[in-house]
Amino acid sequence: MRTDVQISICGSAGEGTIAAGDILRNALAAAGYRIISFDAYPAEIRGFGKCVARLRATTDQVYSLKEKSDVLVCLNDEHSIPHVGDVRDFGAVIYESKSLAHLSEGGHVSAHVRPGQIPYPLALRELSERATGAIRSRNLVALGYLAGLYSLAPEPFLRIIESKFKGKGAAAEANRKAFETGRAVGMETFKLDMVVFGRPVAGLQSVMLSGNAAVVDGCLDAGIDNFFGYPITPATTIMERLAVEMPKRGKRLVQTEDEISAIAATIGAGYTGARAATATSGPGLALMSEMLGLGIMAEVPAVLLVSQRGGPSTGIPTKTEQSDLNMALYGSPGDAPRIVIAPTNVEGCYRCAGKAFEMAECYQTPVIVLLDLYLSNRYETVVMPAKPPFEPNCDKPLAKQELGTGYKRFALTPDGVSPRALPGTAGGMHVVTGLEHNEFGRVNEQPENHEAMSRKRHEKLLAALHHPDFTHYKRFGDEGRVEVGLLAWGSTFGECLAAMFRARTEGLRCAAMKVVMLQPFPAKAVAEFIDQCDVVLVPELNYQGQFARLVQAETGRLVHRYGRVCGGPIAVADILAEVQRLVGAHRQKAA
Amino acid sequence: MSAPRHHVIIGTGVAGNQAARTLRQREPEARISLLTLSALPFYNRYDLPRVFRGVHDWREFLVDPPAYYEQQRIGLRRCTRVVNVDAKRKVVMLEHNEELPYDTLLVASGGRAYLPEELSEYQPLLDGFGSFEQAMAMRRKLPDGGTVAILGGDMIGLDLARTLIDTGHRVALIAGKQTFWPHQETPEQRQKLLQVLERMGLDVLEADDEGGIASIEAGARGFATRRVVFGSGRECPADVVLPSFGLVPSVEFMLGSGIGIERGLLVSPTLRTTDESILAAGDVCQIWSGEERRYRFYYGWKNVRVMGELAARNLTGEDETFEPAQDETLHIEDGATIHSPFWEYA
Repeated sequence: MRTDVQISICGSAGEGTIAAGDILRNALAAAGYRIISFDAYPAEIRGFGKCVARLRATTDQVYSLKEKSDVLVCLNDEHSIPHVGDVRDFGAVIYESKSLAHLSEGGHVSAHVRPGQIPYPLALRELSERATGAIRSRNLVALGYLAGLYSLAPEPFLRIIESKFKGKGAAAEANRKAFETGRAVGMETFKLDMVVFGRPVAGLQSVMLSGNAAVVDGCLDAGIDNFFGYPITPATTIMERLAVEMPKRGKRLVQTEDEISAIAATIGAGYTGARAATATSGPGLALMSEMLGLGIMAEVPAVLLVSQRGGPSTGIPTKTEQSDLNMALYGSPGDAPRIVIAPTNVEGCYRCAGKAFEMAECYQTPVIVLLDLYLSNRYETVVMPAKPPFEPNCDKPLAKQELGTGYKRFALTPDGVSPRALPGTAGGMHVVTGLEHNEFGRVNEQPENHEAMSRKRHEKLLAALHHPDFTHYKRFGDEGRVEVGLLAWGSTFGECLAAMFRARTEGLRCAAMKVVMLQPFPAKAVAEFIDQCDVVLVPELNYQGQFARLVQAETGRLVHRYGRVCGGPIAVADILAEVQRLVGAHRQKAA
Repeated sequence: MSAPRHHVIIGTGVAGNQAARTLRQREPEARISLLTLSALPFYNRYDLPRVFRGVHDWREFLVDPPAYYEQQRIGLRRCTRVVNVDAKRKVVMLEHNEELPYDTLLVASGGRAYLPEELSEYQPLLDGFGSFEQAMAMRRKLPDGGTVAILGGDMIGLDLARTLIDTGHRVALIAGKQTFWPHQETPEQRQKLLQVLERMGLDVLEADDEGGIASIEAGARGFATRRVVFGSGRECPADVVLPSFGLVPSVEFMLGSGIGIERGLLVSPTLRTTDESILAAGDVCQIWSGEERRYRFYYGWKNVRVMGELAARNLTGEDETFEPAQDETLHIEDGATIHSPFWEYA
């Protein structure tokens, strides 16, 4: 029997909502299910904001969360009430049966459970208090109840609880008791909903990673030497995890005083030949943009890991958006070409992070890996490669005869990439400056030189379109001519793929293409794709249709923009509805 | 323009649902809230013996699909226990600490299985059959060809007994004064009725003939899981023991409301209580009978449905009186089949 169960846990910040989701997804992954999971939390650290942990456990490969959950666990009435309607018919709504506060009409979750949903009132506080003497373990009571109700093996849960509270003996014991108490009640509860966990996938050798964790693993496997960063949501966990892992490998991480210092240090380290990176979000990238220009002008390898969040300004820092594309593509003074790649799933985060170091060295330029909060914080079970698929050194070979007094650090070569002498290389002395320079690196403002050097900086990047062992773009779905094509980048591609599969089951000829390499842009392949579609829809999480505009500019083809700024992923149903609308209009026009 | 009235109905059995349906027809703009302890929408409890015929999906028992309530804008609040009614403030207090204001209140909370006090200490060894969950639990517990001991033998229990016999199980009826409840029969009729039950395949034991039920025990390993032990020392082994002593009205939450209560809520023939905003219908109410000069219960699916409809009509401007919709006599047909209007629910 196939399993496809989505569970949402909703509570207030500080109630252990995200922690419960973390234990649940890890336990289900350990049990052998494939997981895709995403948490939404407020900007406030504790007290009032709403937290929602969502996870989808499956036996088949899936690419997005479902619009409707099968189970909702409500740890807080006020926050949970708006989400009760997100539970499917014959799904389960589990909620605190007793309120401490006096409630006016409609103030309790039970008032909002729809007739097709199954209510499961549970005395969470009371059970937590009975098990541990305190009410704060009600999240673990709820997890135990889920395990009991759906006959999930307790061992993976207990292992995860043990490891999560390792070294905190009393907390581990209290949480174990709370889990066991909830589980006993769940086992006694008559299950009326139609949610079924089938057998997990046998022999699935996967690991559970968030997008940011996968980025870190990619950096480490690519041999990162130095990291410089300044914390900012949703990129902070990259630095946090690297801070743990890099020292173990004898590598250096420095938290700088701000983003400008972080990128300056990254470029400095890159200049010395180290594999260096920084991580930030939109506001940080804005601060880095001038120094990014230096990296481009000085042709220094550097990796910028940028996770987008809702903007502009401080915006909605804990909600996702894809609205920094323009800034990633163009945001620096002058003609400042850089490589921009955007993974579409957690495994892609690993590959893009590692490949970014290769590309930065190969093409001697900063490379931006463009993530977004939905991808950074999303968890998926990933099958990792047996050995790192990254080249440890991609520097262009430097012949001895090129060194000496005539060494041209910025030699105009057929591929635009100049042999690079690292500081300290005998005969490799040269000047590096942010000013326009000639082949030797010396300042030169002559128009012919500026044209030649601008051409060099742009055209050397074109080779990145053929960078080996890298998926620059990929088409899925029906082959040949189709009625509708979905064109997407970044995290939105998962929802597009799910919408494409549903459109095909509804009889539409449909294909989807993901574009990972955003700059330089694979215009030829994308244009060919567009030419094979009656209509092309470009869903993305920004208001301006930044990717759609890029596609139109690069290919000269018109596409339909579908920009949403809802703070979360675009619902598959919404994409599907737009697809149906477009196809309907096209058919009518054709008739 | 005044706000639409809020009609609150406690109980989602036959009476409550019929009332909601009629209220919606007669007052399209009204708010209607149905409160129930059950986790499921209204389903046919009389039909529950079908679980022994292989029907295990609760959706098969629903009278209306879940979408019906949304289409009709009937608020259905399940797993909701009413703990108090404040008739002065016109507020229903719910166990989870929520106050629900009403303009009119219909109490149709029905009844729950009655268990004689002398048997209450054996409750953990007894099973119920009042809900889908209990019916399924009994089905899981009862092996193929297993035995059910029915204590008392009201008409609900005897209906189940018919199905159990049909599906290859054994039924031991421990008969007593509640046998054939709610029907009242003469000693002669009772003897004939018990003989018919024996011909149907039930093992009938008169509890009084064996010195009454002394205890109920858990069975030893390798034997039936339960034993009904009589004063005479005789034992009746069974896999499941089902008390079947009729119903008692569920009125506890009304005790502080100021409404007249005897065993059930006391209502006039128009189903009105002593509070003009509160009516009652179904197994929970005792209706004044001018003919008999007493308050009395009327049982049976048809009667209860009529009460639900009548209550809704009287809540919306009518002033009609209750007329029983079915007779109350128990017949033996062809000398071999019991016919009870209580079993007429199709």
